[in-house]
Amino acid sequence: MSVSTAEPGAPEQPPAPTRPPLLHRLVRDPVVISGSVAVLLWGVAALVSPSFADWNQLVTLMTVASFLGVISIGQTLVIIAGGEGIDLSVGATATLSAIVASRFMDGTNDGFLGAVLLALGACCVVGVVNAVGVLAFRVPPLVMTLGMIAVVTGFIRLYTGGRPEGSAAPLLRTLVAGDTVAGIPGVLWLWLGLSVLVVWLLRRSPFGWRLYAVGANRTTAYLSGVNTAAVKFSAYVLSSLFAGVGGLLLLGYSQNVYTSLGTDYMLNSVAAAVIGGTALIGGVGGYLGTVIGAILLTVLDSLLRIMQIGGGEWGDAPRQIIYGLVLVTVLTAYGRQKRLRQ
Amino acid sequence: MDTPPFLRMSGVRKRYGGVTALAGADFGAEAGSVHAVLGPNGSGKSTLLKVLTGVVRPDAGEVLLEDRRLRPRGPRDTLAAGVSAVYQELSLIEDFSVLDNLVLGVEPTRFGLRDRRAARERALPWLERFAPAFGGRVPAEERVGDLDPGERQVAEICKALVRDPRVLVLDEATASLRRAQVRVLFDVVAELRERGVLILFITHRLAEIRAVCDFATIMRNGRDVTTVAVDETAEGELVELMSGGPAPAAAHPGGAAAGAAETPGSGAAVEAAAPGAAASARSALDGADRADQAHETAPLLEVEELTGDRLDHVSLQVRPGEVLGLGGLQGQGQSELLATLFGARRRLGGSVRLFGRAIRPRSPKQAVREGIAYVPGNRGLQGLALGRPILENFALPSVGRRATLGVALSKRREAAAARAVAERIGTRYGSLDDPVSTLSGGNQQKIVVGKWFPTEPAVVLMDDPAKGIDVGAKAEMFAVVAELAASGAAVVLGSSDDRELVEVCDRVLVLFEGRIVDEVAGDRLTEDTLIASAMHVTDANGAGRPVPEPGEGGPTPQAGADGDADPDGPPRDPGATGRSAGADDSNAARGAESPAGRAEPGPARRAQASTDNGGAA
Amino acid sequence: MSTPAPTRSPAASPAPTPPGPVAQAAQSVMSARMPTLAVTALLVITLAASIVLQPDFFSAYSLSASFATILPVATIAAAQTIIVLGGGIDLSIGTIVTLASAVSVVLMDGDNSRLPLALAAGLATGAACGLVNGLVVAGLRLQPIVATFATSSVFGGLALLVLPQPGGTASPVLTQGFGMVLAIYIPVPAVLLLALWLAWRLLRRHRFGQYLYAVGGNADAAYTSAVPVSAVRVFSYVAGGTVAALAGIALLADSGAGDPTLGTELTLGSIAALVIGGTRLRGGSGGVGGALVGAIVLSLIQGLVFFAGVPTDAREFVYGCIIIVAIALAGLLTSRNGTRRTAAARGKAGTA
Repeated sequence: MSVSTAEPGAPEQPPAPTRPPLLHRLVRDPVVISGSVAVLLWGVAALVSPSFADWNQLVTLMTVASFLGVISIGQTLVIIAGGEGIDLSVGATATLSAIVASRFMDGTNDGFLGAVLLALGACCVVGVVNAVGVLAFRVPPLVMTLGMIAVVTGFIRLYTGGRPEGSAAPLLRTLVAGDTVAGIPGVLWLWLGLSVLVVWLLRRSPFGWRLYAVGANRTTAYLSGVNTAAVKFSAYVLSSLFAGVGGLLLLGYSQNVYTSLGTDYMLNSVAAAVIGGTALIGGVGGYLGTVIGAILLTVLDSLLRIMQIGGGEWGDAPRQIIYGLVLVTVLTAYGRQKRLRQ
Repeated sequence: MDTPPFLRMSGVRKRYGGVTALAGADFGAEAGSVHAVLGPNGSGKSTLLKVLTGVVRPDAGEVLLEDRRLRPRGPRDTLAAGVSAVYQELSLIEDFSVLDNLVLGVEPTRFGLRDRRAARERALPWLERFAPAFGGRVPAEERVGDLDPGERQVAEICKALVRDPRVLVLDEATASLRRAQVRVLFDVVAELRERGVLILFITHRLAEIRAVCDFATIMRNGRDVTTVAVDETAEGELVELMSGGPAPAAAHPGGAAAGAAETPGSGAAVEAAAPGAAASARSALDGADRADQAHETAPLLEVEELTGDRLDHVSLQVRPGEVLGLGGLQGQGQSELLATLFGARRRLGGSVRLFGRAIRPRSPKQAVREGIAYVPGNRGLQGLALGRPILENFALPSVGRRATLGVALSKRREAAAARAVAERIGTRYGSLDDPVSTLSGGNQQKIVVGKWFPTEPAVVLMDDPAKGIDVGAKAEMFAVVAELAASGAAVVLGSSDDRELVEVCDRVLVLFEGRIVDEVAGDRLTEDTLIASAMHVTDANGAGRPVPEPGEGGPTPQAGADGDADPDGPPRDPGATGRSAGADDSNAARGAESPAGRAEPGPARRAQASTDNGGAA
Repeated sequence: MSTPAPTRSPAASPAPTPPGPVAQAAQSVMSARMPTLAVTALLVITLAASIVLQPDFFSAYSLSASFATILPVATIAAAQTIIVLGGGIDLSIGTIVTLASAVSVVLMDGDNSRLPLALAAGLATGAACGLVNGLVVAGLRLQPIVATFATSSVFGGLALLVLPQPGGTASPVLTQGFGMVLAIYIPVPAVLLLALWLAWRLLRRHRFGQYLYAVGGNADAAYTSAVPVSAVRVFSYVAGGTVAALAGIALLADSGAGDPTLGTELTLGSIAALVIGGTRLRGGSGGVGGALVGAIVLSLIQGLVFFAGVPTDAREFVYGCIIIVAIALAGLLTSRNGTRRTAAARGKAGTA
């Protein structure tokens, strides 16, 4: 053995590739960039309107961000799972969950648990259909989940007759808007808990490691004994499930439901994930980045609102325009694809 | 060289992240010559030529063509300057017809629209010239995606030629070609040289270098080492130059070994050096002793009458500690057998017993649970998640086993497990958190094997594990294999390299068309026997010489390329034809070959597609 | 110069090939044509059902109305297809449509004499939006899905700036011309649809049409073949944007007024139509023809759900379910095709 391990070219072995210095890596880390931008935007907002820096304002801001953050959990998982994975139906699913729950809660705490379970159950069905379409029928995820929007919206219309009924249970209202622990509303504790859970799931659980492997190279994962279909299936079902949870939180916040409740979250959840460094090619990224991305998007939106760029004579328009431009700018910082010429 | 050379590249540097691909390489070549660029994997030869063709932007250095500085912004500019290239990764659009591919980027137009007639006039002559390489047809209207790997490579060559190059770069262009196809190519290369075209040639097959090349530049570690005239240099000397010294382990890189060694008169030096490193691994463990022991113990893996797509009633037994080889021509079901045993392909009949107990894995997951490990043929596409950290790649097959309650991982425990394996198999790495893509090919391959250690496999299935890694890494790889066997595992090793089989295996089964046709062991286990055994079948079949044109098979064509050096004995060696061989000679050979040659690819390719589907499902 | 002496062997004519290759070729033609066959079958089925359920389907009025609603949808689908074929995707296409139509309607303001100016401005707007998208995707190298989502926010905002509320008045000439029926039976929108298809065929014959497929099929290969990949990408977005502007004008001509809020719906519809039409979402395979048929099928299905007497509240759901089944069918056929290709691609790549 001693002979065989002698490397013939050993004396001229190129040195082991050196890792770039820490600072260099930090500057290129999407999470760091997005975090800095978010803090920067928040600082600007605080300068423009000092009340923005209030504790209450901050809590409200984070509460609003939590909806996007929770809905983006599943989006992040699906994107990491690769294979052009994306779930555009999260918005519609969130709405579905809110509508089902509000009907069964009907403003009381009596049927709270049942309503929640039923709502999340309905969402899981959506996730299962998505997964079956993508895995069994091999429909591109973008198209499959796009089609599911039509189905879910259609179902909502059928279910409600166009007039959603009921309202959130007081319990849910307390969770989202009420003041519970240490001056921080329950919804933020919930988001924190879910974040820790998801980050742990991705970094320190076999499922997470397998998810990354499936996203990075499905064939390798399969040949290493990973049940790739099961992993992807879970990702899609979890995506719909967390969208449902997000929908419930939205319900608690807005008290009543309407049929376009979750529509905005469809692409914003993708944007939050991508801003946070989760690449659409799969196998790259993480939930911490998505949290930052969700906060960034929310801060940006609030900033544009308090600068009163929106509203008045011009309506929503300038806000939308600036929102888009900032998004492009942030993405340009690192979300770029490889060059054709190396 | 008093006058400035036709092509001169000087001080070319290129770094990819932390890896230096080129460290100030100089290179010069004359018009009207065939110039080989040689070197071990990762020596920077491909990068150098990509700088020339404009695909890679150098960090420093300049390129002079006819004393004019070439500053390409991309392949468009270099093509305009007359540099045309055939790459390893083909530049063909699979959905396009061959004709459309040939003229892609240089489409003739009329009134602003594409002129198909002019395109045909321009491209067809080349396709016709290469018709023998397409089995006698002119596949102008066929979809490239429907061609077999060798034919695609030929189409790629035609595409480069349609551009009327003054410099033609052939980067491993012969790797997936069958012998007849190589012959046509070499004829054309000879013609081009007469016309003053410079041909730059990268290959791992020394025999081909001797056959067509005038000069050879040897590269090592991103620098040029020297340039020699091929006629005046012995093959052994070339090998030494490439490996950086007269190391005993310096056998040929890739599959060149067998083919080159058989070249009469030229292979002497090589043969002396050849019974290389891998053998030493085996002898270190005292192979004979081990084999004796093996025969006394009960078989660990018993396969009876296994059938499936491309598998025809295969029966075999492997004892603990035994290394069983699967030989024969390339693409005769070796890969399929391994994949079927691993549950990655569907089994249609037969039984498999492990420790005397019948098993029936329906997926790799179940196979892994039974104690089977599988090293696939293509490490980049099947063996590794290249962008993920080394640690995760190590952990993947066994990640659930070390988790507390099956759900909680400890990074420290994972790292310790990975480090233990890495130490055992001698993997060099910077940090376990670095992407596995930062490692060299050999170290990557060791991870593909090493990741199975923690699962403590009883059976290890290996599909050409030494393919595409250089000599030193290959030796270490087989040391790992030997160690696995020594720890009591049964190893089944499919290889496209007969020399490898002889050196590493206790016993070799020869497959032909999915059947086991011979068992070679003990004193009979020599390269000659293996070659004869693979050939014998074809003679018995009465099919004559034509069948052994094996390029089509296998899950990866690269394997096919390596393999086709083996069956072709000395009479059909490229060294004998190549430069001197007239067109008549090769035409005659082709005439006999084409019918069977054409009949072959169908099932082989289907099988290949389904392997991949199976892998992807 | 380096062309070898042309040896016109009998094998030179492509027709008489040995049986093996012929079978292979036939197989390849079949697999390439599968999506086309599928969408044709869908068209026949939906047409037949429409004729059965709508007795006056072929009346001049009904045809005219059908084509008037089909044309905008089909045109957007065509625009999206051009972009998808080149390997991109445009989530902002709906907002380009509304922005272009908003610009046009504000400029024409019900006045016939300002029509040419308004049309030109509308088209220029579409092209400019496409240029922005193209530069962001090809120049900045952002992932098309997120990049065009971001620009859709910009374009949508601009549309709101130009036309804050649905309204405005299109030139009478435009709306009247759009509603005309030629030769008793042929509605103008149908003629325009045909013109759109012919324009596509022309592009397909052009070098850039070919490059579109090459870049979408394999950008790296196209790059090494001296195809100007970045230019082609930009071109695909500009062409897509311009065609989207045409759709905006068609929408304007059909409804007589602008609506700045349609955006997203149109985008989603365009993607559904092209997938049903057999275009591969990854690019490089498919065509505008299929997308046009796909859009027609979608419109017909919508009409069918209406005429089949489905209760009002259930219509959307039924429509959604039919769409998803159609998508799944189309996806099944296209992706099987694609899988085979990836398998081959995987096979060809060695261990460099």
